[in-house]
Amino acid sequence: MLRAALPILLLFALWEAAVVGLAIDPFYLPSIRVVAAAMQAQSGSYLDAYLVTLAEAALGFAMGGLVGVASALLFTRLPMVKDMVLPIFIVSQTVPVIAFGAIVVLWFGNTLMAKAAIAFYLTFFPVTINTLAGIAAVDARQVALLRSFGAGPGAVMRKLLLPAALPRIFTALRLSASLALAGAIVGEWFGASRGVGAMLLAAMFNEQIVSLWASILVAAAVGGTLFAAVALAERAMVFWREEL
Amino acid sequence: MNRAAILRGILGAALLIGAWEFCVRFFALPQWILPPPSGILATSWSARAALLPAAAMTAYEALSGYAIGAVLGVGLAMLLALAAPLRAVLLPMVVAVNSIPVAAYAPLALLWFGTGALSKIIMVAFIVGFTVFLNALDGLTRVDPAAIALLRSFGAGRLRLLWTLRLPASLPSIATGLRISTVRAMIVTLVTEMLGSQLGLGWTIFQAVLLIDFLQVWAAILVASIISLVFFGVVSAIERRVVFWR
Repeated sequence: MLRAALPILLLFALWEAAVVGLAIDPFYLPSIRVVAAAMQAQSGSYLDAYLVTLAEAALGFAMGGLVGVASALLFTRLPMVKDMVLPIFIVSQTVPVIAFGAIVVLWFGNTLMAKAAIAFYLTFFPVTINTLAGIAAVDARQVALLRSFGAGPGAVMRKLLLPAALPRIFTALRLSASLALAGAIVGEWFGASRGVGAMLLAAMFNEQIVSLWASILVAAAVGGTLFAAVALAERAMVFWREEL
Repeated sequence: MNRAAILRGILGAALLIGAWEFCVRFFALPQWILPPPSGILATSWSARAALLPAAAMTAYEALSGYAIGAVLGVGLAMLLALAAPLRAVLLPMVVAVNSIPVAAYAPLALLWFGTGALSKIIMVAFIVGFTVFLNALDGLTRVDPAAIALLRSFGAGRLRLLWTLRLPASLPSIATGLRISTVRAMIVTLVTEMLGSQLGLGWTIFQAVLLIDFLQVWAAILVASIISLVFFGVVSAIERRVVFWR
């Protein structure tokens, strides 16, 4: 906990020192005390933005994680389907998927579901790919051993393949946490009235640099929350892995 | 990948596009739900007068930002590879900043650098720089200690070590960073353009959404995807050449 907080505190200290020491124009970087005061003055609306965006990102992130693992398991069971679908997945990774956010908003309107859907598909691909890689890395002799004890494909999956893939799944989840957040924020740009993305946009159009920085900090807080949730789950589930 | 797998991949893509076209026609889906692939292609062609300059702008922004970011990222990583104490202080902070999504500080770039190409190039350079930096540093510092000890015993200094051992050893990591960065560069360009610009595919998409012109949205995405794929393909090909031992 302390180790995670230290770099952030150090960053804040550097920020304040730079503003005071180098006399930076507040248009570029206002003092962190000013930003904090602004956040406190309107703590209600910032808290609302935090909760709205967190709900969108977390919902899509959770769905994306589940569907990602599930489709990787399906692909492992049905290699034929994998060969047909996986190349499309991989190619889709090289296209700017976030652009599809526009279409998702057209489909769902400005709802929670629209942003969650964007967060969902940004999360879903990396998790699928990493789960597959984790399963592929399992020693074939271990599978053979379990089989020789009479374990069926389901038992091999539950007892060996899935646990073995867990570290890689969590690597993908950590990466996807910030992708899911980015998806939710960009989804809010297309006319949403609540959330961090909407706040960023409003601050930009009104050239309110202090509230822009405050919104960035709120975005960081949402990202930090998602990240912490993943780290906690990882520590509970991948207990055999040494601390990073 | 064997030939059967490649064939199945092509079959899968053909099936997807075929099913898409069929569903749209058979169920007579309205355009706002899903336009047919043929319609998207037709729109891309008929709107080429508007799409081409936008595509050129987007490619220009993404490429120049990418080049600047790549040079900065590798350079900084080499600098920090030489200074271990500085690395211990800076790295956690860099990771903390890197975990904030681009979308959050893109508005800042627009306020500071205006709605022209400069704000996009700086954003791309920033993100690509981060990605390349983290990958390069990882490669530069994860060199076999026995190899370092060997070179040291021959009297190699830090710079010599960096040039003859660390840099070649880290090439695969750097190449991975450069490859991932191609897609990121395109995404960042599009996202920043959506916020505000005079020209570019991201701007085209944003405008088309506001005007509820669905075919235009899909056409712009198609063009952006082609640019992204070509960019990714070229960098991957160069990677296979340079990192031939992998």
